[in-house]
Parts: sequence; C-alpha cells; structure tokens
Amino acid sequence: MLLLDYQNVLIQSLLTERFSGSPPVSIDQVVSDFDNVAFHVSTPETRSKILISIAVKCYKELVQYGAQEVLEREYGPYIVSPEAGYDFSVLIDLDNLPSEPEAREDLIRRVSLLRRNAMAAPFERAFDDFAHRQEEASKFTSESAPEGVREGGEVMTIHYRDEEAIYIKASHDRVTVIFSTIFREETDRIYGKVFLQEFVDARRRAIQNAPQVLFRNEPPLELQNVRGLADGSHGEVGYVTFVLFPRHLTPQRRQETISHIQTFRDYFHYHIKASKAYIHSRMRRRTADFLQVLNRARPENEEKERKTASGRTFRVQG
Amino acid sequence: MTDAALKSQSLRPYLLCVRSSLTAALSLSNFASQTSERHNVPEVEAASSPEVLLNPLTVSRNENEKVLIEPSINSVRISIKIKQADEIENILVHKFTRFLTQRAEAFFILRRKPVKGYDISFLITNTHTEEMLKHKLVDFIIQFMEEVDKEISEMKLFLNARARFVAEAFLSPFD
Amino acid sequence: MASQTPAVVMDNGTGFSKLGFAGNDSPSFVFPTAIATKGPAGGTGGSGSGRPAVANKPSFLTGGTGQGGALSAKRGTEDLDFFIGDEALIAASGPGYGIHYPVRHGQVENWDHMERFWSNSIFKYLRVEPEDHYFLLTEPPLNPPENRENTAEIMFESFNCAGLYIAVQAVLALAASWTSSKVTDRSLTGTVIDSGDGVTHIIPVAEGYVIGSSIKSIPIAGRDITYFVQSLLRDRGEPDSSLKTAERVKEEYCYVCPDIVKEFSRFDREPDKFLKHTVTSPNGRTVTVDVGYERFLAPEIFFNPEIYSSDFLTPLPTVVDGVIQSSPIDVRRGLYKNIVLSGGSTLYKDFGRRLQRDIKHMVDARIRASEVRSGGKKSGGLEVQVVTHKRQRHGPWFGGSLLGQTPEFRSYCHTKAEYDEIGPSIVRRFNLIGGPGST
Repeated sequence: MLLLDYQNVLIQSLLTERFSGSPPVSIDQVVSDFDNVAFHVSTPETRSKILISIAVKCYKELVQYGAQEVLEREYGPYIVSPEAGYDFSVLIDLDNLPSEPEAREDLIRRVSLLRRNAMAAPFERAFDDFAHRQEEASKFTSESAPEGVREGGEVMTIHYRDEEAIYIKASHDRVTVIFSTIFREETDRIYGKVFLQEFVDARRRAIQNAPQVLFRNEPPLELQNVRGLADGSHGEVGYVTFVLFPRHLTPQRRQETISHIQTFRDYFHYHIKASKAYIHSRMRRRTADFLQVLNRARPENEEKERKTASGRTFRVQG
Repeated sequence: MTDAALKSQSLRPYLLCVRSSLTAALSLSNFASQTSERHNVPEVEAASSPEVLLNPLTVSRNENEKVLIEPSINSVRISIKIKQADEIENILVHKFTRFLTQRAEAFFILRRKPVKGYDISFLITNTHTEEMLKHKLVDFIIQFMEEVDKEISEMKLFLNARARFVAEAFLSPFD
Repeated sequence: MASQTPAVVMDNGTGFSKLGFAGNDSPSFVFPTAIATKGPAGGTGGSGSGRPAVANKPSFLTGGTGQGGALSAKRGTEDLDFFIGDEALIAASGPGYGIHYPVRHGQVENWDHMERFWSNSIFKYLRVEPEDHYFLLTEPPLNPPENRENTAEIMFESFNCAGLYIAVQAVLALAASWTSSKVTDRSLTGTVIDSGDGVTHIIPVAEGYVIGSSIKSIPIAGRDITYFVQSLLRDRGEPDSSLKTAERVKEEYCYVCPDIVKEFSRFDREPDKFLKHTVTSPNGRTVTVDVGYERFLAPEIFFNPEIYSSDFLTPLPTVVDGVIQSSPIDVRRGLYKNIVLSGGSTLYKDFGRRLQRDIKHMVDARIRASEVRSGGKKSGGLEVQVVTHKRQRHGPWFGGSLLGQTPEFRSYCHTKAEYDEIGPSIVRRFNLIGGPGST
C-alpha cells in the first residue's frame, strides 16, 4: 500500500454489504479513524435504519469555518440531529434507498468519506477566498494593490490533534496549508527529517507542478500573528508548509486536492513506520547472516542433517 | 583515484591490523580466579588481578572508527566503534547494535552491553577458543566489521531512496 | 477522560485474524491471516523468499562499495507491494504474487511478514495512528517468551504504539464467557475448549494461568468436519459436492444429537428432517443438494472419532476429562465447573449440552466406583458445567474487547516509555486483568 485511502474502509464495506440486500442485522460498533476521529455505527430503532455518527476533536473549529454547510451539501436529506456524545449524524434507511445502483454507490462513497468531508470545510472556504481575492487582485497591478489584497486572508487554525494543528491561509495567488508536526521519538524525528527534505526537494527535481513544500522548525512568517504556537527550538516540533498554486485550486481539481492533502500527516507517519519495518527485516536477515558466519567457527557443529526414511528431517534437542 | 577506491584502500590495512592484533591476543588459557576460590571468570571483566591483564590496544582508522582490544590471560574483549557520519547513521547504528544485542544469546561471544565509548563489544574467553576455531572467530569479527559498515550505508541509502519515492508519490497526484 | 481512544484488539490466529476496537461486541474485521507478496509463494517455513533482497556478497568481493545494492535499493519499494487478508487471496490467485501464512500453529513464524501484516492492518483497515492507541494482542498458550519480545519490539519500535498488553487466548476465552447467564462469579479458572479450523485444544486455566503440562490437542476440528460432510455428499453422488458447498451445509444445517441410533430412526420416521440446500454457482445456475444424516453425523466425529478417522480414536469428552484429571487436584473442581467453548467449531446446536452430559457420565461413574471402594461413604458430588454463550465464535477477541474497555486496562499495559526504559524483556510479565486482587 502506497497511498492511504481517503474513505473509511469499515463503513464502506459495511454499507456495501447492507445495501446488497442481505437480511438486516443489528449493528453497534464504535470505530476509530485517524486523528482521534470516532465513528459510531448503530441501528438504534430498527435493524433497517443505520445511524452513523462522527465525533471530531476539532468540530467546533470546523463549524466556525463552515463545516455545517459542507455537510449539508453532501448529506442533505440524510442528516439527523447529532447523537449524544457525537458531533454529526446521518441516518440511512435501508428500506428507502435510491433505486439506481449508481446512486447507491455514490451514497456509500459519500458516507465513507464523512471524516474527509467534515474536515474539508476550511479548505473549501480558503479555496473560495482565494478565487475571490484573485479576482480582486486582477484589477490591480502588483505594486498598486491595496494592502488588504496583498496581505491575504486570516489564518484558519484547526487543532485536529492534541499537539498538532493545520493552518490554512488564502492569498490572491496561492493557498498556504501549514501542518505543525511533532515527534515524540528520536528515531522518528530523524527519519522524518529525511522524508521532509525529500518533500522539499521533490518539486525542484521531478515534479515541477507540485505544490511547493517548505519545512522549518520555527513557525513560518504566515503564522506570526497566531497565538499558542508550539516552540520549535528543541527540534521535535516542525512546520511543513504546502503552497498550493492556482492550478491546484481550480474547481475541477479542488475536491481531489482537499482529499489528498488531508492525508498528509498520516501518510507521512505511515511511511516512517513502514520504513522502520523494512529496516527491521533487513536487520533480521543480516543477523541471520552473521550467525551463519559465527557458526562456521564451531567445528563439531558441521551440518549433519539426519533424515528419517520418509525424508523428513528433525532437530536434535539440546 | 575515486573516493571509494581510496576508502577501500585505507580499509584494508585497518582490517589487516585488527586481524593480526586480534590473532595475537587470542592466545588464551584456562585460569582460575585468584581472588575468589573456585571461581573462573573472564579476567578482563573482573579486573581484580592487574597482573593477568595485558596492555589494551586501540587500532583506529580515524577518530570515528576504531577497535579496542583488551587482552587478558583467559579472555579478550573487543569493542568496535562503527563509523557514524551523521545523525541518521548514528540512529541506524544504534538500532542495529541494539537489535543484535537483543539476540546475544545466539551469538555466544556478543557482550550484552558495549564498553563505554564504543558501539558494540565482544567477549571471547578461553572456553570459546577451545570450542571454536580461533581463526574462524577472527574471521567473524573482521567480516562483521566489513559488513556492518556496508549494511549501515545501505540502510541509509534505502532511507533516502524511500523518502524520495514517498515524497514523489505524494506530490505527483497534484501534478 | 472522555476523549480516551479505544484500545485496539487484534487476535491473529493461524487461520483468521480478528481486528477491532475494545468495547464492541464483534470484531470490525475478520480475514485470513495471509499476506500476498511479489514473487512466488515461499515454501515451507517461509524462510528465504519474500524477504527483502540484501546484497549477499560482501563488498570486497564485488569491488567498490556495493554498486548493485545501491541500485536495487533505489527503487526498493517491493516491501510496500503486498496485500493482506481477503485481498491477498485474490491477489495470489492472479499472476505475480505468492501467498504466505505468517502464523503457524498459533505462533508467528515469519516476523517480516507479520510486521507488514500488522502495518497494513493498522493503517489500511483499522485506520488508527498507533501512537494514539493502546493495543491488546493475543498469543497461544505456551508461546515462547522470545516471541513476545519480538512482538513488543515490532509494536513499540516500528509502530510506537502507546501501550501494549499481550494476553493468552484461552484466558480471554474465559473472560468472554462472563457474558453468559450461567456464569455467576467472574473467575479465571476453567477449561477452555478452543476448536478452530485446524486443531482443537483443551486448555486448563487456573486463576488466569495456563496449566501448560496438561494441555491436550486433538487433530479434529472444523476442516475435518467439512471434509467429512463432503465425503458424505460424494458418497450419495450429489450434484455439487465442492468444499464450499460442504462448508455451507456444515454451517447451516448441522447440529449435535443426543444419540445417533435414535436420531437415525427419527430421520426415517420424520421425512421433513431431510432438507434441501440450493447452491447458486457464479454463472447463475442453481442446483439442489439433499441434506440428510450429515446434519447430525458431521459434528458427531468429536464424540465418536472412529466414524471419521482411523488414527485418532479418543472422544472429545474423554480427552477433556483426562486433561482435568491430569491437572493439580485443588483446581479440578473449578475446571469441571467452568468448561468454556470457544471457536467456530463449537457453535453446533446442543454441542455444549452433549459434552456436559458425556463428561458428567464419566465423572459420576468414577464417583460411584470410589464410593463402592470406600465402603458406602457418600460423595458430595461434583458439578460439571459446560458454558455456551453468544460470543463463542470470536471468544478470545471478545474477551479482549471486554478487558480492553475496562477503565483499569491501561494500568495493566506496558507503555512505550516503560519499554524504552527497560527493553523488550519487559513484556515477559504482565499482570492479569480481572485476575486475583483486581476489582
């Protein structure tokens, strides 16, 4: 697996199974997703009505940036008042599904993207803001533009994890997305540095049209007015800046861009861990090789493989 | 002459020197402890009778790569400082030596803790030299030194390659 | 703390892995413990192939500093190209991939594969950041402590999981039985009969500790029942006698009867006991298969193995009795009183009832004999109880889910910080959750 899925596999497979017409069963599952997101999938009233609720740590912030509208657009008729302890709920009535298979597929897709859509609001707002500012700015030459246009919009902060946050800021020629990262482990920090360096270099080397990536330990200039930033002087905090250019922000591409950039943190951490797993298996192999060399030094231990009549081998105990 | 060739040229005398020093040091005999009755301990570890300890010897290739050989009458301690050019190599060496010492049980001669200032230590006693072939033990140490450097640099190469691949894979959908 | 993340419970068995979150009543994912990697399937033991390519020759032989190694490492992403679970089975049926089973006889055999299996389980299926969650893993009885250490090494060093608890499957199966109404005291003493696909284990547990010397396994389990059903279908010349059909028949129609002779005559008297099973093949054709005596004959091989096998002839109840008799005398009463079923092959209707009756017969006969020998002294009797409950199928997983959601669970785990401090040997010992001395 290279890229992470955008959707929640469990919800997807669960709904696909339910929609396929198999007999309704009662469901009651609490499921986690990345970044402390929790889902509750249940059938509270009857077996044919599936309630899916989501709890997001930073839901208040998301609402402030327009999450409600985005979710209403995506889930309109399915929305019900949020279940206690959760932030947002949709109810799907299995007896009242859209009849066309495509529409059903689409519904499954939408619901399994619940987390993604909840988090999408600030991005959408920034992208809209950008479009607006671009239009404004086109009326001026770069020198004569009034302060407000050049400055760009306010910084939207999403504290999506306990110690990490996403900052989004729109200007007239770009949208800047900044991830603050923290490493609790020395190994991860060092591996992470190698990875981030390559993110920074990738654009220069191979993919010219990719967003520009910057990495530094001190808060970048965009965040100079934001309060409560973690101090990066000890090296474990870092700021990864993605500069999205107009080509990434076109209406045709914005949804994909939002989905993709959201997975950055988890993708990044997944690959650090996958690398460690690979290095582990190298070490296992190498250790086995070393043992082989060392065992050559034991004269009596020369291979005397014993076999039974049927050709099986066995090891002598002790 | 390329850099790599130069390096391997300086590596050869280094390893040669370790090999002959180690072979010389590995003349061990059974020796009962002089300080506690009916005990037989590696004197280099116990260090309780200075007269049976021989002069320790350091072979160094440069300040980052050296081998400490501490001989005694019935045991030799060999400690290796593995080349670490940057913090990545540093962490990889740390991980790898830790992984090995975790499995010290299988490695008879591996010391569970390295001597201070070194990355990994071996302890060869007279029992080992009696039960195993001496020159093969030396071969093992030499081969270990060779391979460990190579393994570390390969792991580092892997990490860089992987990082590049991962970064490009993430960024190319934006293209 | 309200926002505490649920613990992740992973039960990696020989055949199937059960993954999910503590607090749920069923696992979120159940799929084969299989991994499909690039290249041909590894032979026995899974050494060699499937491992990453490491330059074999030392560099002084090839000259230079290992050019070849550097080049192959450049695109070295083979270790990301793999599938697990059902996807692995699909991938392996096509070209290019070979399938591996990292767990054998309950124990992890190939750590490289297991590590990647876990990586994919966590990031693709469960979708959790392991740093945020505590993990509860299971192990078979008599798992060597080195395996625990290896597990901890992977969980803590590769994945940085917040905390780890490793529990013995049989003990979790006992905990799972606490949901049964028959169980009044939440003790961790009992005999676990764990019957999966490949093998059936009888494991006595006293106060949460497995009595290793008394464990017995019998080579009859789910797969054998399926084969037996299949052979019966074949003998009758049914239109479809594939393994898949046999499995469906086994799962849907089989039950345990009190007495086969009577059951045979009952079938002859009541023709509606014979059923028809409809098989729909992928191309849309349907065939009908008659289902007859195999309904009760198939599970009967636990109680009368001679009808199926010629080399294993001891009935399950006798083995259970033997296991308990070989356990220390002071726990036997508890072991008889709490015989807990676990695993898919114990789900047949009346399985527990029959087992209880048969064991009871044996115990009573023994008591009577000793009463006679002691010259008319009366015995106080011995309670035999087989506990069946709703969560039997994924017993160990459910037990893990129960324990993982208790507020004190985290205090029983070893944390990442403790691991860093002490090293892998820390996982050699875990305090028992729900064991003596806990609330």
